[in-house]
Amino acid sequence: MSGICRVRLAEERKQWRKDHPFGFYAKPAKSADGSMNLLEWEVGIPGKTGTPWEGGLFKLTMIFPEDYPSKPPKCKFTPPLFHPNVYPSGTVCLSILDEEKSWKPAITIRQILLGIQDLLDDPNVLDPAQSDAYTMFKNDKVAYEKKIKIQARDNISR
Amino acid sequence: MSSDYEFSDNEGEYYDSDEMMDDYQNDDDEEMETYEYNNNNNTNDNDYDYTNDDDFRIPTKSKSKSYQVEYTSLTQSLVEKAMKEEVDHVSGIFGVEPSTATLLLRHSGWNKERLIDKYMENPTQVLVESGCQVPEPIPSSSSSHSVDDKSGSGSRRATRSSSKLSLLSSSITSSNRSSSHKKISSTSDSSTTFTCPICYDDSPSLTALSLTCAHSACSGCWNAYAISKIRDEGEHCIRCMTEGCAIVAPDEFIHSVLRDDGKDLIRFQELVVRGFVASNPKLKFCPYPGCTNTVSCPSAAGKSVLSTLVPIVSCGARGITSSASNQNQNPSSFSTSSALSTTTTTTTSLHNKEHIFCFGCPIESDHRPVICAVARLWMKKCEDDSETANWIKSNTKECSQCQSTIEKNGGCNHMTCKKCRYEFCWVCMGPWSEHGTAWYSCNRYDEKGGVEARDAQSRSRASLERYLHYYNRWANHEQSTKLSLDLYAKTEKKMSDMQITSSLTWIEVQFMKKAVEALEKCRETLKWTYAMGYYLGRGNEKELFEDNQRDLERAVEDLAELLEGGGVEMEKEKENVGGLRQRITDKTVYVQKRNEIMLEDTAIGFQDGRWKWNVGVDGFEEPIEDFGGVV
Repeated sequence: MSGICRVRLAEERKQWRKDHPFGFYAKPAKSADGSMNLLEWEVGIPGKTGTPWEGGLFKLTMIFPEDYPSKPPKCKFTPPLFHPNVYPSGTVCLSILDEEKSWKPAITIRQILLGIQDLLDDPNVLDPAQSDAYTMFKNDKVAYEKKIKIQARDNISR
Repeated sequence: MSSDYEFSDNEGEYYDSDEMMDDYQNDDDEEMETYEYNNNNNTNDNDYDYTNDDDFRIPTKSKSKSYQVEYTSLTQSLVEKAMKEEVDHVSGIFGVEPSTATLLLRHSGWNKERLIDKYMENPTQVLVESGCQVPEPIPSSSSSHSVDDKSGSGSRRATRSSSKLSLLSSSITSSNRSSSHKKISSTSDSSTTFTCPICYDDSPSLTALSLTCAHSACSGCWNAYAISKIRDEGEHCIRCMTEGCAIVAPDEFIHSVLRDDGKDLIRFQELVVRGFVASNPKLKFCPYPGCTNTVSCPSAAGKSVLSTLVPIVSCGARGITSSASNQNQNPSSFSTSSALSTTTTTTTSLHNKEHIFCFGCPIESDHRPVICAVARLWMKKCEDDSETANWIKSNTKECSQCQSTIEKNGGCNHMTCKKCRYEFCWVCMGPWSEHGTAWYSCNRYDEKGGVEARDAQSRSRASLERYLHYYNRWANHEQSTKLSLDLYAKTEKKMSDMQITSSLTWIEVQFMKKAVEALEKCRETLKWTYAMGYYLGRGNEKELFEDNQRDLERAVEDLAELLEGGGVEMEKEKENVGGLRQRITDKTVYVQKRNEIMLEDTAIGFQDGRWKWNVGVDGFEEPIEDFGGVV
């Protein structure tokens, strides 16, 4: 199974280098000895233009299990993000990232990242993962948007 | 045998009699015959019993005991057969393949009636929902809603990205084409080359597999995916690997995909059976680890009946090495001299416990006489830390101003709350200012505030003591049951010693084993009577119950002393062994009888609705009394 995992990740890397959506980046992390660790990727997701998230580039770590793609990768915002569907640890709560919900082995890294980008401005209120962002989103949209804008400014791309 | 003889005798008589009476007599005779047969059968049973366990004259348990339930145990293959019958039935009605009928039934939770209704109404919708058929492509968005109807926004996203997917996959295949061109120029006609969308392998030896949705993937990826679903998630409903596609793989497909791994195939089959069993309220899977048997108990299927009976069942399997040890045991029972071999076989047979569990609740032991709801209440009470809170209540006091908990660990009764600086008297809980300087006289003893505080404290103390009374006895019996393993070992040694020192044969020393078994069983009953006693409302009924409990407990302790005490050692002398055997046998029979009475009486009580509780229990009247603080 690990055979599938690494071959698939190498191919995903190749596809990504060939073509990827504008503003995103995704690359395997470097281990301490300088070698490439295919099981851990550092990615950046830009906020969509025309939303309070615009201008921000949000850093995320993708951790792939040995039985990927049978199991989904774990996606974690570093540092944790202020968003109703992001756990206090930074882990993203999204149905396509849940093996018991909509995860399918055919979902590519590109699709995951686009899915998370969609999630940023379109939170799922039925499945909150942190109380701060959820309560503010529910009760005070103005303050929420203000806070998101500040967060986007703090996470500006280089 | 004798019935045959009597029958022919009767027949002879009947030939002698008047031919006119023929018909009448024939009827009569037939009745007599059946009666004779039954009677004979009974005595045969008893005879068999006597030869089997010598002095134990307790007749074999008939199903008519009021504390027992009717049930049948089924092996996995029998359940599979029942499943197949359902599938064949539905497959015949709908005119679909059995594999499709299987998926339809599984999706509808094996509720055949509802499935038939829905299918007759709209077969396409049912087929799509069960993952047997690809939804019609015309309404592009509505199809995905049926797939993922839980989160509206989630499904919207899924639709959006699945449209992206189709674009993406086409781009991937096109780029693959170019890459394969670069890599292997020989296979330039890449239109026929298959590239697995999961592992991106494109070697020509790859076998592409797809379900009715035609989303192909290589057999290796299917194998890995199916194994991960089966092993890690315990899931038998395995869907297509393509995003948003809800087509479910039929069993034959999974079988072919798992071809090389027998273990996963067995697990898959077990998951399928478990799914069937779980959706049928009349069935329950044996909870013992590694056991694959199922028990069918239609009389305990509803929740409402659980207030009138305790459905303790056994799946029919024993321990791990059941068949092997039974085979060993039988021939050795006739050998009298080989003590060593007997001991080894009995060691295994003693530990081969039956898989006894409750059909109505998750408790994996015989919790008779108490019903499931009350047993659960008791288990919860013992497990959670509500008693810690009770301890705090009885051993500490609360500052009457800020309610912080205070434990007095020395010093005088003039307390000053560390938190709010409130000064009060530890004895009467009244404010210290009212005491003046003469605190020791506590002249404010009848002060309203002080009285209330003391009352609350003594109430919670009494309730704790009451709980501890029952809990200690419960825990004691549980501990003794656990120690019975040691007792088994000891008893086995005594049994083999006895065969050497006395003239008793293997079969004759079995009384020890019987006694230990009876002891363990009765301790289990006794244990649960304390859970019942704790919740039983005060009254005559409870007193009768406690009388029965006392009699059983006394009998159990007597027998235990006889077995474990020094008496055995002393009387092991040759001439006394017969007497000891008689005494233990008598006690065992008595203990079994007391146990029978206890279970019988409580079971009848549940049927008659005689028991009243001091807490609210589903299916019963309101609690008849209130112990402050006991909930």
